[in-house]
Amino acid sequence: MFKFAIGALGALAMLAGGLATSEVQARSKTLDAVKARGSLLCTGHNGSFLGFAEVDDKGNWKGLDIDFCRALAVAIFGSVDKLKIVPLSWAQRFPSIQSGDVDVIIKATGWTMGRDTELGLQFSRPYLLGATQIMVHKELGLKDARDLEGATVCVAGGTSTERLAANYLASLKVKHEFVTYEKTEELRSAYFSKRCDAFVGWGPNLAVTRSKGSANAADHQILPDVLAMEPESAAMRQGDDGWVDILNWLFSSLMLAELNGITSENVDAMKANPPNSTIGRLLGVTPGIGKRLGLDDSWAYNVIKTMGNYAQIYDRNLGKDSPYKLQRGINALYNKGGVLYPLILD
Amino acid sequence: MQGLLRDEKIRGRLLQAAVLAVVLLCVGSFIVTARQNLLDQGIATGFGFLFHSTGWDISFSLLDYTIDDPYWWLLLIGFLNTLMLGLICIAVATVLGTLIGVARLSENFVLGSFATVYVEIFRNVPLILQGFFWYAVVTHLPSPRRALSVFDAVFLSSRGLYVPGLNVAYWSVALWAVLAVGIVLLAKRLAGRSVGLTPLRVGWGAMAAILVLGVAMAFVLTPAGQPLIDVPYLKGFNFRGGLRITPEFAAIAIAIIVFGAAYIAEIVRGGFLSVPRGQLEAAAAIGLGRFAIYWKVRIPLALRAIMPPLGNQYVFLMKATSIGIAIGFTDLFMITSTSINQSGQTIELLFIMMMLFLVINYSISTLMNLVNRRLALRGFDNDD
Amino acid sequence: MTIDGPPAAARTDWLDWLRRRLFAGPIDVIVTLAGLGLVVWWGPALFNWLFVDAIWREAGSEACGTPGAGACWAVIEARGRLILFGLYPFEQHWRSATACAVIIAVAVLSCIPAVWTPFRLSTVWIVGFSTFYILMSGGIFGLASVGTEQWGGLALTLFIFASVSIIGMPLSILLALARRSELPVIRWLAAFSIDLTRSFPLLTILFAAALIVPFVLPQWLQGDKLYRIIGAFAFFFACYQAEIIRGGLQAIPAGQYEAAESLGLGYWRRVWLIMLPQAFRNALPPTINQFVITFKDTSIVIIIGLFEVLASGNAAFGTAKWTHSYVEVYVFIALIYFVFVFSLSRYGAFLERRMRIGHD
Repeated sequence: MFKFAIGALGALAMLAGGLATSEVQARSKTLDAVKARGSLLCTGHNGSFLGFAEVDDKGNWKGLDIDFCRALAVAIFGSVDKLKIVPLSWAQRFPSIQSGDVDVIIKATGWTMGRDTELGLQFSRPYLLGATQIMVHKELGLKDARDLEGATVCVAGGTSTERLAANYLASLKVKHEFVTYEKTEELRSAYFSKRCDAFVGWGPNLAVTRSKGSANAADHQILPDVLAMEPESAAMRQGDDGWVDILNWLFSSLMLAELNGITSENVDAMKANPPNSTIGRLLGVTPGIGKRLGLDDSWAYNVIKTMGNYAQIYDRNLGKDSPYKLQRGINALYNKGGVLYPLILD
Repeated sequence: MQGLLRDEKIRGRLLQAAVLAVVLLCVGSFIVTARQNLLDQGIATGFGFLFHSTGWDISFSLLDYTIDDPYWWLLLIGFLNTLMLGLICIAVATVLGTLIGVARLSENFVLGSFATVYVEIFRNVPLILQGFFWYAVVTHLPSPRRALSVFDAVFLSSRGLYVPGLNVAYWSVALWAVLAVGIVLLAKRLAGRSVGLTPLRVGWGAMAAILVLGVAMAFVLTPAGQPLIDVPYLKGFNFRGGLRITPEFAAIAIAIIVFGAAYIAEIVRGGFLSVPRGQLEAAAAIGLGRFAIYWKVRIPLALRAIMPPLGNQYVFLMKATSIGIAIGFTDLFMITSTSINQSGQTIELLFIMMMLFLVINYSISTLMNLVNRRLALRGFDNDD
Repeated sequence: MTIDGPPAAARTDWLDWLRRRLFAGPIDVIVTLAGLGLVVWWGPALFNWLFVDAIWREAGSEACGTPGAGACWAVIEARGRLILFGLYPFEQHWRSATACAVIIAVAVLSCIPAVWTPFRLSTVWIVGFSTFYILMSGGIFGLASVGTEQWGGLALTLFIFASVSIIGMPLSILLALARRSELPVIRWLAAFSIDLTRSFPLLTILFAAALIVPFVLPQWLQGDKLYRIIGAFAFFFACYQAEIIRGGLQAIPAGQYEAAESLGLGYWRRVWLIMLPQAFRNALPPTINQFVITFKDTSIVIIIGLFEVLASGNAAFGTAKWTHSYVEVYVFIALIYFVFVFSLSRYGAFLERRMRIGHD
């Protein structure tokens, strides 16, 4: 009996030891490389993608995707200074992550099966949803995509939109002419100069382009057809589960902060006196949130303190504090009629 | 050992062996590393993807294409697009460049100034910037419903240029061209064979034969119930029928032609300036007229100086088509770039693209060398 | 516009000049009138758009893009620094500006014949280039460190151009010598790589450097994308320049080489003292031309996604406020290129003329 107890204890100890080492191994290769390098390489754009990655008068990057890159840098290093934004075109996103020029793609990138399997990529949970839709010049007087018979349709090359649009119009048996562009600026100016009748794009981008890219937003209409509901996720190299975990919990924590009304202004008060245990765990008052991911326990606090919660980031770049004034719509949290939700922080 | 190293022959051999070994080692390690990297990231390798359907559409194609066609077909289309763009640019740039080169040499001050301004502006601004510029120009033309038109048959709008075309397939035009060349060659052989066959008569005969053949083919090959001439007309968003030059093609072609012509103008001018004055004076001294001096002395001599740099310029223009990607012309480079992004087969696709460019350039340089040799043989003081 | 004017004596008689240069015959009259007509027709409209109706200051820029408004130069005032310096930190722009000035000064210096000794030239370039690099990247002398992914605009264009020249020049000499080597393996390897590289468009080579090289090199050798592209660009430059130098070498009379050999000079001293100086003198005009082409070609890296002057120009009109002003931005960038390329090519033409005088 005694022998058995000792054996059981020994087995338990070995198991615990094994778990302990496996916890270290569960950390991410990419995270180790990022820490060793001392900087995070994240995606920018070769020019500007309104609302998501643009350059201000002083040459600073701004936009929703850029802010999520910053949030990731803050989560890892505690400050945005360690972030390096690598300017990339659409078509270079995937080759660049394969070759290691960037550590993560946060660049309005849709989660598709082809990318998930053949391209050797891995995706985080979606952080923003948008319908792929068609914007047309209002003077054409169209009702829906069936009226596009013979029309010229413009899309960005090397994107999921390109495939969605081709499939959708083919399924409607609508004869059309396709023009694809490598550069967002060329695409935008081609549509506004009426080189194209229609501009197929991802909803939020269409709305932003319509509201601020055009001289008069009322001259353009967005057709009711929804080609697809495209979820945008962060894309990473396959085979690094720990890195995916970090991105998933980064997005989740920003949403959790919004749900609990934690903002960059009140985060210090919340941390000093957490109203419930979930918030305590989130802000690192109760340890655990950091160690499990290989990060510092105060990473979520740092992110919220520097970047704000999900709503703050959204409002600053797309929403009411931006020139674009986009409604949250489907991208509101579940308790406000949207589809976004935080994961459960236990 | 010291003695061995001092021997120049042995030293040379050792050096070569060492260089060769280093090169082989590098290439070997590249292959091993690449395989390992691809395996690590779970990226599919091999050329199997060439037979998968693409699922995306393109704007410009000489062959039929649907989104269910495989990648190899798309690459072929890209190759043909590049080839066609390059050949058209070379042909037009040569004509335009020659005219401007001659204009620069003109005594007329206005003509000379215009030519100089042209050359200096278009030679000194990067091609890709000119591409952006011309694309902005052609897309800001009026919309199809307000198109500029000539006799309601030719239309210019932001959708490109529409002109009436023949209602026959491309291949039949190609067939006609081949047959026409055959008739000309036959006529050349027949000319002068007997008294009745004077070159003039044979020439007229050949021309008539080509014309009759063309008309006959047009009647036989036109689809039943359709007119022979296909006039573009406005329907819905855009024009239907006729021959069309798309804005993307027009912009990239104008950019390359205008840029190339500026360079060719300088080559032509240099060629004419290189003709020694003495030759012209000698020609005038033996009583040749102004026209004869130009055609018999000046041009042949200038041509020999022009051909070698012109050949290089042709190769350059062919390669310049790859900037079509910047403004949305579906050339080989753009199709490769998009395919890489959609299929993830970076190495394979870049390899195919580079091989195709190699084929194009090798063909041009072989052709130009042939022309050079023929020109040089007729000369009198060959350096080579 | 340097049109070779008539001799000074003829200029006194301007009527004669008119007759000869404008109205020599009926065709000339038509050409002249048509040309002048074009100037009268287009000139004022262009002039109005460029200057009279133009909006110069950011303060009045609301009128930009409205019908009847002229050029919107306000975009240059508002976004000019973005075009010139790209993503470089705003407070540090003076460093970027100084660095550009240094490289331009180096380029001007190396155009002066008195500097044309290998020692002086390499000193000027190495000192100038290191100054540029230290100013841009910082990290020492109390300058804040700025990573290459933040370099942009004109400074990046100049950096690419300068480093391609610095790496490419020595490489091209080696390649040219290798191609004329008596050792068959080396000669064959050089010829193979030169001819192969020259048959590809620059864009495809840069693309391969950006996308394929990371696959075939181990992690520690890859470096930044910027450096990979500069490396590939430099090799491309070297392949073209090597053929130019080879042309210069071939033009050297055989007697020179034999004389040097009979003096008992070794291979490298023969090359260094006798061959290369003459080869470069022979090949000077095409070399300048190659620099001109290389400078223009730097704009291609926009497709690879580097933030050079054309890309930062795109970003400059890529915000809500300035999205209509792309023509103005393109004109501004075209002017920048024109100033550099035109002066360089004029200089090349001047050298050529000078050499021709020396030869005849």
